[in-house]
Amino acid sequence: MTDTVIEFRDVNKWFGNIHVLRDINLAVEMGEVVVVCGPSGSGKSTLIRCVNALEPIQGGELVVLGESLTKPGVNLPALRTRVGMVFQSFNLFPHMTVLENIMLAPVKVRGLSAAEASRVARALLERVRIPDKAENYPANLSGGQQQRVAIARALAMQPKIMLFDEPTSALDPEMINEVLDVMTDLARDGMTMMVVTHEMGFARRVAHRIVFMDAGQVVEEAPPDLFFAAAKSDRAREFLSKILTH
Amino acid sequence: MNYQFNWSVLWSGQSGGWLLRGLGTTLALSGLAWLVAVALGIVSGAMRTVPWKPLRVVATFYVEFFRNVPLLVWMFFWYFGVPPLLPLAIREWLFDHGAEFWAGMFALGVYHGARMSEVIRSGIQSIPKTQFEAAVAIGLTTFQAYRLVIVPIALRLIVPPATSESLNLLKNSSVALTISVAELTFQTRQIETYTARAIEALTAGTVIYLGLCVGIATIMAHVERRFAIPGLIARGG
Amino acid sequence: MRRILAGLLTLGLPLSVVSPALAQQSTLEKIGQSGVLTIGTRTASPPFAFVNKQNEWVGFSIDLVEQGVKPAIERKLGKPIKLEKKESTPPTRIPLLSSNAVDLIAGTMTDTRTRRESVDFSLTFFVTGAQFLVKKGSPIKSIDSIAGKRVAAQQGSTNARIIRERVPTAKLQEFPDQPAAFQALVQGQVDAYTNDGIQLYGLKAKAPKPDDWVVVGDFFSYEPYGMAMRKNDSDFRHAVNVGLMELIESGKYFELYDKWFGPKSETPYPLTAENKRFLIMQVVPK
Repeated sequence: MTDTVIEFRDVNKWFGNIHVLRDINLAVEMGEVVVVCGPSGSGKSTLIRCVNALEPIQGGELVVLGESLTKPGVNLPALRTRVGMVFQSFNLFPHMTVLENIMLAPVKVRGLSAAEASRVARALLERVRIPDKAENYPANLSGGQQQRVAIARALAMQPKIMLFDEPTSALDPEMINEVLDVMTDLARDGMTMMVVTHEMGFARRVAHRIVFMDAGQVVEEAPPDLFFAAAKSDRAREFLSKILTH
Repeated sequence: MNYQFNWSVLWSGQSGGWLLRGLGTTLALSGLAWLVAVALGIVSGAMRTVPWKPLRVVATFYVEFFRNVPLLVWMFFWYFGVPPLLPLAIREWLFDHGAEFWAGMFALGVYHGARMSEVIRSGIQSIPKTQFEAAVAIGLTTFQAYRLVIVPIALRLIVPPATSESLNLLKNSSVALTISVAELTFQTRQIETYTARAIEALTAGTVIYLGLCVGIATIMAHVERRFAIPGLIARGG
Repeated sequence: MRRILAGLLTLGLPLSVVSPALAQQSTLEKIGQSGVLTIGTRTASPPFAFVNKQNEWVGFSIDLVEQGVKPAIERKLGKPIKLEKKESTPPTRIPLLSSNAVDLIAGTMTDTRTRRESVDFSLTFFVTGAQFLVKKGSPIKSIDSIAGKRVAAQQGSTNARIIRERVPTAKLQEFPDQPAAFQALVQGQVDAYTNDGIQLYGLKAKAPKPDDWVVVGDFFSYEPYGMAMRKNDSDFRHAVNVGLMELIESGKYFELYDKWFGPKSETPYPLTAENKRFLIMQVVPK
């Protein structure tokens, strides 16, 4: 058994009266790539937003990189530097250039010099395959390019875990692959990843494990081959038939 | 009964000098008050949007209290109400060094700070919530997220309403004459006293205020273009 | 820039067009038509014009209009008229007249040569001069001891002008109305408040503790109060003057003086023999 870096123990969460996460028990190992899928409204986005505490939980315990998020006085900014997140809507800072977007946290949080941060940022742009866009503003980039900058920005803090919340859902179809390719590279390099996505091809190729959610519950967990070939639950089979045959 | 215009009163005698001195006082009073208003506006406007209730309550109280009490009352409050709370020596020193100017400046700054706060709050609230999440997700503290991301974006979005609020501040600076600050309107009245030429003096004042407003609007339009966010930020979360 | 200039020109245009239109009608015709004489007066200048504790707008100047000027105009027009009062302050009173908002300023306006270039004045109905109101025991005794001191004055008053010219080192602070100036004196923002002596007596009498305040100094200005009206309207001016002359001639003026300034009034201000003679000599023969 390798190191467990994320562990949900009987986690429950409500939005007002709505019970969005029900008794979640889930563990993610170091270096593991977990794809979370399920119908919309199933709680999968909420699930990964809990991991870097963008959403507080109301019941159970959530331990990330050895820290219990429910413990009073937990240092969230410090935790978040070790857990990178990529959003569906990119969320680049529109008033900063691409380079400034990536350099912001390394300079302001980790205290790197501007020169050092710039070097790191340019290396990351190289890695996400857009080194020539450093001086552009986000509005002048395509969606795919923006999302790759967002990945670089998250990687700049050298996180141990990367969370992806439907990273390709807002993209035009021709741009989806350039983002998935970068994510695939990342997975090959051994990054621990939790990915909410409808890209089943990516899940099949890259994921170590599929977590299927519905109505706030983890219905089924399985390695990709098993999940796609012979999902155990009716709900998962129904979901797959819809998503794979359209 | 026909009113005979005599525009020469504006440049004969001391009128020109008074107008210039009044203009100087108006600019100093409005300029300093503007800095106070912007600082208070940013802090309280940001505080009204943070995810921590006690800060929101304090900021809401400030805004509602200060913008719903007439400016004239604030002028009297800072000029007549505050000095008795100070030690005698400080009070005397203030009275000898333009207490009315500082009282007027604070009244104007704090009053317009509350109004500026609303402008900034609406600017912040027009930024998608995910922008804030993205900022904290890379490890920034809430304070850093506001200082480095949210407020800089908001300030770029609110230039037009902030301009009109700034012009209001400039025009409202004339209320300071009620506590004997010798600003522009005061000086136009002075000319009226010496020459009994009210319409000419008021016209001179109007033209100068108009010139100032047009000047400020031009500068702000330039600032808006200079700091515009490329492509704006219409994308939502 | 050119657009701004064009805007200004169009702003100026209505003013020059409107004024000749107003010239069509004399003040007496206007009053005859509307049946109303509108005066501009004060709300806080006791005892000339003020709102008293019963919330009535009264005073010496108002009595002079009601008992002298109004009857004279009614006789001239041959019909009864109503009196309407509007607040007018030193900075607003001449514009109020020019714009026809009021027909007569009857408050505490000093007749000066500069003002006569813009408005006409009735004969003088009261004589006073500028003095200082100070806290009891103050080192300020007259205009000779205000150098370097903080002195409040009323904005647009002749007193402020004289101090500025005669004692440039005095720190003059001008307030648009009397209560604010007096409040500044009470709290020590200023060391003295200058105004026409009679107004200072009125203010002192209305103060919470009148004995704490003293009026000091010789008159350092000559303040003859007159009623102001629009220029070049001699029929109206004559009617106003006739009203005032009849009050003086009949002795009614002195009864009113006694009512407001007599020993039993709130603001005793004896009429000197010299001033009484001056008033009587203004009354020309019938």
